[in-house]
Amino acid sequence: MSRISTVVLLAMLVLAGAMGLKTVATTHGDGSVLMANGTAPVPPTPWKNGTAPVPPTPWKNGTAPVPPTPW
Amino acid sequence: MPGPFEYTIWFVGALLEASVVVCSLLRGPFRRYFTLNLYMSMSFLVSAGRYLVFSRHGLMSSEYIYFYYYSDAILTICLYFALMGLYAIVFEELGAALKLRVFMMLLLIGTTLFSLSVVHQSEARMLTHYIVEISQNLYFVGLVLTYVLWAALLKLRESRVRVIQIVLSLGVYFSINAANYALHNAYPNLRVIWEYLPPAAGMFLPIAWIYAFVRFDDEARLTPARLAVVPR
Repeated sequence: MSRISTVVLLAMLVLAGAMGLKTVATTHGDGSVLMANGTAPVPPTPWKNGTAPVPPTPWKNGTAPVPPTPW
Repeated sequence: MPGPFEYTIWFVGALLEASVVVCSLLRGPFRRYFTLNLYMSMSFLVSAGRYLVFSRHGLMSSEYIYFYYYSDAILTICLYFALMGLYAIVFEELGAALKLRVFMMLLLIGTTLFSLSVVHQSEARMLTHYIVEISQNLYFVGLVLTYVLWAALLKLRESRVRVIQIVLSLGVYFSINAANYALHNAYPNLRVIWEYLPPAAGMFLPIAWIYAFVRFDDEARLTPARLAVVPR
């Protein structure tokens, strides 16, 4: 039982370390994606097509202050 | 659009990936390092597939974008299995194969669950977000695992040159890409540097593995410094 716990603990430690490292690496990120496999030219991310400025979300028309939710 | 230089890097990189598998087949360690060869074979096939899609649809097409990111996730999973194979080789004498497999599979499942928890609120393109998130997270898990493996090599006083060469080159590869990514985020204006480092690292890895397969055989060992004969 203790061996299984040790294996689980180690796996969680590595996962936590990796995610911490990722957070540090993406601190000032602009949503770009790390691409590391192969030497092919990198396309834009699927949710970031083109270089045009991102429009506001459809449910946020105008510049008026947002009221609290009805509920 | 990529110019002649980018095309050259792309094709030389694909050729190098195929060369790793050929060298491994000719020199004999293909089965022993099967997962490494699987990664390189997949990498070559993906490069060929990317070229086909790219030449038909272009760089900015949805077809190329989706093919690129989905195939990248497959390659990262293959890279993870390559690391798993290296762990099995390093720890083979300790008889911990089962525990190792459980550890690696738990880590893989944990990473996929964590990725799902990150993207589960995405409404649009959830599958694509999920695939890219898994690829990113697995990459950083691989980075940490490579350093853990290197620490284990030092602790176990591993002296097989080929294994050391492969693990070290993998560490350099992971580190260059992760550092490049972090610095790219911190200094986005230096685009010229950040765009060329990943392809350079992508060429470095197959070259280092070809060197490991051609230059050393499986029994070649490092001579401990204290046993080396020093001429007086």
